[in-house]
Amino acid sequence: MSEKELGKKLDRCLADGVVKLGTGLGLGIVFSVLFFKRRTWPITLFSGAGLGMAYANCQHDLRSHYLLHTSEQQEQ
Amino acid sequence: MAPRIWPLVKLVSKVTIAGGAVYVAYDSGLLGSSEQGSMALEKAKAVVPPALEEWMKYFGLEAQLPTMPKIEFSPVNSWNAGVRWTISSLSEAPTRATEYTNQGLQYVKDLTK
Repeated sequence: MSEKELGKKLDRCLADGVVKLGTGLGLGIVFSVLFFKRRTWPITLFSGAGLGMAYANCQHDLRSHYLLHTSEQQEQ
Repeated sequence: MAPRIWPLVKLVSKVTIAGGAVYVAYDSGLLGSSEQGSMALEKAKAVVPPALEEWMKYFGLEAQLPTMPKIEFSPVNSWNAGVRWTISSLSEAPTRATEYTNQGLQYVKDLTK
């Protein structure tokens, strides 16, 4: 993986992390207000889940360069 | 009849609102892959400032609040400059240390003469 490609992937990871954290926070607030009597734990749970999803996406994105796909294996 | 139905109506409306929020988040690609997430962030960056301006105009706040000055600051460039400065300082550090030590020793020798 070239340095430029790695830089772009890391930028994407960061942007995705921000988006998913915000989404988790928003959904956590909605669920907390509607179902859980404005407690804090749903907000924390959903924000954490959002960050976890972003981490998993980033991990997959960084590993995808080294994964050999079935069509490439057949060509070889 | 109405007192018995009211809690059910409340529950259904809450579930509808929560489900709708989750659906909107999913539909706009906020819960998808990294590419979708970064595209959603770019779209939000493009849409939010004009929307804010519209709302400020609507509420007549534009004249009251001063406009944000456009600061030309790039965190990426600052970070990269910092990294370059650190590494060049570290690479020059042995040479400089030797020079300063020699100068110090010379100074002490001159004092003792």
